[in-house]
Amino acid sequence: MSGRQLRGVGVSPGIAVGPAVVVRWALPEVPHRVVPRSQVEKEVRRLRAAIKDVKRHLAELRERTVDRAGVDEARIFDAQILMLEDKEFIRGAEELIRENHLTAEKAFEFKTFEVRDLWAGTGSPLLKERLADVTGVAIRVIQHLMHRGGADPWDDISEPSIVVAKELSPGLTVQLDRAHVVGLISEEGTRTSHAAILAHSIGIPAVFGVRGAVERITGGTTLILDGSRGTVLLDPLPAEIADAERTETQRRERSARLEEVVTQPAVTLDGLRIALRGNVDLPEEIAAARAHGAEGVGLLRTEFLITGHSVLPSENEQAAYFARVGEAFPGHPVVVRTYDLGGDKFPAPFRGAPEANPFLGWRAIRVCLDQPEMFRSQIRAALRAAAKAQIQLMIPLVTRLDEVERTREMVAEEAGKLKQAGVEAADGVPVGVMVETPAAAVMADRLAEISDFMSVGTNDLTQYTLVVDRGNARLADRFNPHDPSVLRLLKQVADAARAAGKPASVCGEMASEPLSAFLLLGLGYETLSVAPPKLPDIKWLVRQVSAAGARAAADAALAARSAELALDALRLALAAAVDLTPLDLDARLPAARRSGNFKA
Amino acid sequence: MAVIEREAKVVNPLGMHARPAAELVKVANRFKSAVEIRKDDVAVNAKSILGVMTLAAECGSSLFIKADGEDAEEAVAALLALVADGFHEMHLKAQEEESADEGAT
Repeated sequence: MSGRQLRGVGVSPGIAVGPAVVVRWALPEVPHRVVPRSQVEKEVRRLRAAIKDVKRHLAELRERTVDRAGVDEARIFDAQILMLEDKEFIRGAEELIRENHLTAEKAFEFKTFEVRDLWAGTGSPLLKERLADVTGVAIRVIQHLMHRGGADPWDDISEPSIVVAKELSPGLTVQLDRAHVVGLISEEGTRTSHAAILAHSIGIPAVFGVRGAVERITGGTTLILDGSRGTVLLDPLPAEIADAERTETQRRERSARLEEVVTQPAVTLDGLRIALRGNVDLPEEIAAARAHGAEGVGLLRTEFLITGHSVLPSENEQAAYFARVGEAFPGHPVVVRTYDLGGDKFPAPFRGAPEANPFLGWRAIRVCLDQPEMFRSQIRAALRAAAKAQIQLMIPLVTRLDEVERTREMVAEEAGKLKQAGVEAADGVPVGVMVETPAAAVMADRLAEISDFMSVGTNDLTQYTLVVDRGNARLADRFNPHDPSVLRLLKQVADAARAAGKPASVCGEMASEPLSAFLLLGLGYETLSVAPPKLPDIKWLVRQVSAAGARAAADAALAARSAELALDALRLALAAAVDLTPLDLDARLPAARRSGNFKA
Repeated sequence: MAVIEREAKVVNPLGMHARPAAELVKVANRFKSAVEIRKDDVAVNAKSILGVMTLAAECGSSLFIKADGEDAEEAVAALLALVADGFHEMHLKAQEEESADEGAT
């Protein structure tokens, strides 16, 4: 078995079965010839004409990429086109023709090797990856000069095949015809290489980084490629093919069934409306959250605006970002979490002596209150964006009532100043508490009185309650959000919010995992903010269960003496109510917490 | 005629790979001045993408931007701004960063 299996990195999910086509996208052999002196200028013109044609072809590919994969992906062709506009490089090739009487193709090849040697000599992995671009351009120009038309190796693939290559330039990948290319295998390339990004966005399963693929795989060999697991199986048995096809069908059915619910409301069988929002860390996730039907953003992280930058983001930059997110979700709230800086997540201006216990140190709201200018600019940005969108502010790592009170004072002061200055801004924004410390959970009744909403961050709440660093692998099976102590705190927060008439939500990782989402519904949380790709799972689940059933399950979990028993109780209750086959129920639970031999 | 030289730090996590290099070359080509970029002891023509990519400037590395010509000041200012802005791609994470996550949820 192992002799037939090759391993790499799965860069685009899905399973493909088909015959291999080995593509040799490499520089052709260029014969060494000299041209007579009288022909030199003609040779220079021939080079210029070829460069012009290839540039036009690349511009076409660029357009096609915009249509198929988006503007960002298309930008890779800018670099390739610029290479053909690189005066130093082109002039160098022309000099070789004029002074050494080389043919245009030989001169271009010579300059390409010069760059290749120069870059290889630096030992930089960054440049190694980029060599594919240079080589890709050179192949096109040289093939054009040598009249090898149809520079694209797929031209003669006639049946659905799996393409095997040493490296796939983005220019090649974007021309893939899904009718003929069902999978991609490459020796080079990583998850972040252009070809991988393109394969993913076009939806072709792909495994990259497969050592020796071109050597090991002969054209025509049947392959099973698993882009989710990163494996390639050579010469599979009929049973293995049947198995792979079944798995792929199930995967497609599962995602299709889940996608169906995207346009439907998140309502339980007994009529309880649940608000499902998306967690957004980076601007790229806005589109995914929208596509999966998020009703607003329940956790908009703001750290990306600051980490890695040498200066703080301006108020304008922040206001524009908040407004942009707000516009993407008209009529729905966007909850901006104020800067959660701390530990190693500090912008240069605040970096101080390292702390012995950064998670118990100067972070989140503590930093913001100590750095009022930074905090006030974020508050002003939120107020300005709130003129046109439903912006709310959420304070992370609250442990004391006065942290909320001081923030509210600042919001009121800044709103007043903006009004006085005649700047378009809201009179105020709702201010909520992110409950992620035992202190905040225990004081939930008091905090509920002085805030507009409560939202639980379950990872930090678990880590601070159980005194377990969630990054510590030795403690991995002790990091358990279903521990009875955490469940009691979750219940206490939900009850306190309800008593005060304030909404309570969960924006932590628990909300993205079906079994825990079921528990949270039962504990009384009616708003969940979920990782965008998990929204269909959670919505599907909400529509399959009753709130009354979830409450009974939550009561059973609360009565359990351990996390394991609480999970067993939840599984039992959920399996009794729902056919769980569309969900990969264990996928997001920590390894130690998966069902093991318990089968409901 | 003026010769201006300033230092800039690469701040975007992915460093100056193909796309940032392309942006930089485009900006440099808008000016008449000769523009040179130096990293450590390697100096290249800022109007040549292959040259600029040769620098393989990673996040955190120092670049020295030198312009010589009538619009030297504007050229250096424009390039400094581009580098300081992380070539408009601060949002792209370096691959290693994956999700060691700080997340604090």
